[in-house]
Amino acid sequence: MTPTPDDIRDDRDDLDDGPESISPNVVDGDPSRPYRADADAESESDVAPRSRAPLTEAEVAAKIRTLEERLDSMIGKREAGEGSAPRPPPPRFASVRALPTEPESTVFDTARELLSTEFYLRKWGRLGMRNRSEEVDDFGRDPVYERRVEPFFDFLYDRYFRVECEGIGNIPAEGRCLLVANHSGTLPYDGMMIKTAVKREHPQQREVRWLAEDFIFHFPFLGSFTNRIGAVRACQENAERLLAQEQLTAVFPEGVKGIGKLFSKRYQLQRFGRGGFIKLALRSRTPIIPVAVVGAEETNPMLLRIDYLSHALGIPYIPVTPTFPLLGPLGLLPLPTKWRILFGDRVSWEQYGPEAADDEMLVGRLAEQVRGSIQTMLDRSVKQRASVWLG
Amino acid sequence: MGTSAPPQHPTPTRAADGASDGLTASRARGQVVAIVGAGSFLGSNLAGLLEEDPRIRRIIALDTEPPQARGDKTRVYPLDLTDPKADVRLSEVLTSERVDALVHLAFLSSPSFAAAWAHELESVGTMHAMVAARHAQVRKVVLWSQTILYGAHPTNPNFLTERHPLRANRREPFFADKVEAEAEVQRFADRSPGSVVTILRTAPILGPTVQNYLTRYLSRRVCPTMMGFDPLWQFVHEIDALAAFKLAIDRDVPGVFNIVADGVLPLSTVIKLAGRVAMPIPHPIAETAIAALWMAQLAYAPPTFLKYLRFLSVADGRKAWDTMGFRPAYTTREALLDFASAQRLRDVHLLHEPTA
Repeated sequence: MTPTPDDIRDDRDDLDDGPESISPNVVDGDPSRPYRADADAESESDVAPRSRAPLTEAEVAAKIRTLEERLDSMIGKREAGEGSAPRPPPPRFASVRALPTEPESTVFDTARELLSTEFYLRKWGRLGMRNRSEEVDDFGRDPVYERRVEPFFDFLYDRYFRVECEGIGNIPAEGRCLLVANHSGTLPYDGMMIKTAVKREHPQQREVRWLAEDFIFHFPFLGSFTNRIGAVRACQENAERLLAQEQLTAVFPEGVKGIGKLFSKRYQLQRFGRGGFIKLALRSRTPIIPVAVVGAEETNPMLLRIDYLSHALGIPYIPVTPTFPLLGPLGLLPLPTKWRILFGDRVSWEQYGPEAADDEMLVGRLAEQVRGSIQTMLDRSVKQRASVWLG
Repeated sequence: MGTSAPPQHPTPTRAADGASDGLTASRARGQVVAIVGAGSFLGSNLAGLLEEDPRIRRIIALDTEPPQARGDKTRVYPLDLTDPKADVRLSEVLTSERVDALVHLAFLSSPSFAAAWAHELESVGTMHAMVAARHAQVRKVVLWSQTILYGAHPTNPNFLTERHPLRANRREPFFADKVEAEAEVQRFADRSPGSVVTILRTAPILGPTVQNYLTRYLSRRVCPTMMGFDPLWQFVHEIDALAAFKLAIDRDVPGVFNIVADGVLPLSTVIKLAGRVAMPIPHPIAETAIAALWMAQLAYAPPTFLKYLRFLSVADGRKAWDTMGFRPAYTTREALLDFASAQRLRDVHLLHEPTA
């Protein structure tokens, strides 16, 4: 009979069941398979049946004898290759008696391992983790995954949109800050570009977390992708938590109205929600930096918006661009416009306390003020621009 | 089995000792804690924990079946909450044993096909328990609830606080009964002013010995996932969950608390760390398939659970940290790895445990 590790294990299982059994800890002489010890540590139910049958003195003596035999044969390895040991032990230890020699065991072990599904499952698991980190932050940002997709965003930033930054120095080196930006372009590339801009241009290479619309998270693939690279679902609780962690947080108060506006209304800021971001800034005493993104409006110029049917699909609207339904999914590729991202002066409302967040009039006025400053930056930059494509 | 017979002196109501009076009295002589659902995982382990504590005078174990191991301080009473007269019976026991704290753990940890029976046990059973607790003037009630009751929605904030409404699908009896049970306990809290009512909403419990719908999901070779979705998940280790119940018994912390471990993990990482293979299925197909399998009693969870494979339902443990002083010893990842190491032994049949 060919001795294999499995046989040994089977024997062990047999031993475990019998009340007169020898404790598996003792039988387990093979140092390469120490799982019995683990099992004991893990399971109480396993221990119970064994402790029930106390061994008599004669049994203990017999056990010691067999152990000594095994030790002899193992340490000396004198008769290791032979099928029969000089003193034949009890038949139930048949497999133990003929422990395989070193080279044989490795070949068999390797072959056995390669043939088992367990091996491939483990390999698969390891392969699956190679692009992902084992730990993510509170909001699911995966640094390893992010690093992997970084070249793609670098390409978009450098070559495709040829982004120019202005006023990056207005972003503080540390501490929480709220970036308030206009939202545009049918597909929300602007959040990713603001993130890339700050990461590359800012001397401290700060990370930007941006708040993304709900509908992104309804979507398969898109939701988990944006979540891994650092987007967070836009809601008051999440924003508060991000700011409490002293993060640099970008918000788009226009929301879906911003990305869903028609091409004819480009660079006209929509209503700024209900001023939630102002309340947030007042309550957490966070400074605000207005941000203007120029160039994103023309990436997917929306000529028409179809609102019916879209609810069934879970999206806010179906865009009609010069290319989209015509060319199929290819039509959703953004046009290579020239982008500029302008970071305005920092605004902080030190004079108001947190209770000012409940003053609706004040909140409305401040929201209007921020909106005005972004609109001014947009108008100035659009006027300066000679060409949509070349800047 | 050598369970002690219930003492035959059912006094109608306890001698009226006020709440504060009762508190000092119970502190002096040691608390008497009744565990409803003592045969459950949490119940039997909690009884073991309380057995070690000298401040606990007696443990009253109530369940349909007596617990396997019973300490010196434990008295066992058979109780079936689905029995219409369970409230009278429980009230008698609580009064005669002068119980200070009632821990209600008689809830299913995995969805059951017997929905009507589950409703009787969880929803109506909690009503019985609360009626009895009010009648016996129990000072403290601790209820086990779960964070899955918040429901998985794309509109959830990343961290749900205790103020968030319970939005789990009410058409699913597994959730509806537990939500009703919580409401029942809230009603008890409103009606008995002197009482301390603690509701502990645990994240899915994971660990080397616990068994529930989650360990069943992760013990399969291949775990179905929803194609294109990778929600963040959160667990709590079984030891931490038990510690939270112990804390709630030791201290007076009225209110609702999320009992969760630190950290979150995406579902894909959870499956990989558990050594499993994910099988992505488009969710409309999966929902139809699981609905059919569940009707045929072949699936181990109803289709409403698939939402948790798509959207997040993660709770914020800040309140328990601040108010209760609950410090989880295991992070979500450590709890998962602890489960996985035990599960690996179960996979190769080195560890034998009945499947839940």
